[in-house]
Amino acid sequence: MNKHTRMLILPAGFLAVLLLASCAAVQNGADLLAGTGQISESDRQSILKTSQAVSATFSQITEEQEYYIGRSVAALILAQYPAYDNPALNTYINTLGQAIVYSSDRPEIYAGYHFLVLDTEEVNALSAPGGFIFISKGLIKRCKNEEMLASILAHEVGHVGSKHGLQAIKKSRLVDAFKVLGTEAVRRYGSEELAQLTTAFEGALGDVFETLVVRGYDRKYEYEADELAVKYDAAVGYSPAGLTDFLQTMVGDSTTASGKGWFKTHPSAEQRLEKATGRISALASAPQEAPVRTKRFEQTIAKMK
Amino acid sequence: MKRPIPLTLSICLLILIVSLLVAETLTVKVQSTSLRNSPKFYAPAVQSLNAGDKVEKIAEQSGWVQVKTAGGAVGWVHSSAVAVPKFDLMASSKGLKTQASADEVALAGKGFNKQVEESYRAKHKDVSFVWVDKMLQIKIAAAQVEEFMKKGRLGEFGGGR
Repeated sequence: MNKHTRMLILPAGFLAVLLLASCAAVQNGADLLAGTGQISESDRQSILKTSQAVSATFSQITEEQEYYIGRSVAALILAQYPAYDNPALNTYINTLGQAIVYSSDRPEIYAGYHFLVLDTEEVNALSAPGGFIFISKGLIKRCKNEEMLASILAHEVGHVGSKHGLQAIKKSRLVDAFKVLGTEAVRRYGSEELAQLTTAFEGALGDVFETLVVRGYDRKYEYEADELAVKYDAAVGYSPAGLTDFLQTMVGDSTTASGKGWFKTHPSAEQRLEKATGRISALASAPQEAPVRTKRFEQTIAKMK
Repeated sequence: MKRPIPLTLSICLLILIVSLLVAETLTVKVQSTSLRNSPKFYAPAVQSLNAGDKVEKIAEQSGWVQVKTAGGAVGWVHSSAVAVPKFDLMASSKGLKTQASADEVALAGKGFNKQVEESYRAKHKDVSFVWVDKMLQIKIAAAQVEEFMKKGRLGEFGGGR
């Protein structure tokens, strides 16, 4: 072993240890070695790209990227269901939704949370990453008070806050996307890079849309969203029984609605009821339903056609 | 022959340790938010903050961070609106788990961005973004939410539970 080789072993060993640590640590290590002239700039770039691609997970999707994925998923949802153009109702849903957001675990996201009513009798509520939350007319009609509506919106805010939609994206899409990413602050891509990123983007949108609309989330995410709904309801001041009261309306439903939307993509209402009831009874104290809220809810939805 | 590698490493480690001890700089990671005069959403705004703005952390209180802007303004932001920059190895142990990782900051503006959306839209002209943009225009001010809470006797306006 000559002197020169020995000199390389130290930094190489140091880098190997860092490789076992996080991606950020690798970046720091590679920067350090490049700084001492032990590795070239192209080697440094290559180490970073590889480490980023290999460790690609949904948690590395930035807030801004989550927003762009969400915009397109929202556009795909709106291609399936038309928007219900009712400003008074949409303002009501957004104000209620925002009250829940303020009490949630991730109130601040890239472009904020936005809610929209879908013009369909199907019983459904959907949330795209980045805070685009949809609730169908059919679902609102099943709600008997503001507490029930609040618990549905809280369930959806829970899905967004916990990034459940992003977790539907296959790792291969992220590996493909991260491979394209350089470490320079490039904001405009060349045509080849753009084509590769667009393909990964289309794949990611397909993964999320398929999960939201066709297959449904993993059951554990649905139970987690119900758990968060109970938590947020109580934090805002709504009776968390709004969730169980709503689920009760879905038990044993044999109408035509039962094969679609929430019925198709969610665990059975009986199973959800059992878990949610357990969560509610575990609360030290819970707010009660207030007639003043039920009244304004009835007045607002009375204008819905 | 260059030989002071251990020295270089020591200096870098020292810099790392010092950077952990000095005031912590946070980066705003949401498009825009408000610097508020107390740690709640209904509190009056001191000034607005935009993505990429750097603020210095002063204190923390149940999900909120008290910060100082480059211009010297002091106020509160929710911890989900700011990210811990590189080298802050202690962030996760300080209860700021909702914040972005160093990687998130490093990758800001990259990957799936406006340019990729434009490229996607050029390929899928049948997918309309009209209502997506209309949704984004629905903005509810904190004061409106507060009024809604008051009228609905929610939260602190519930008058005891």
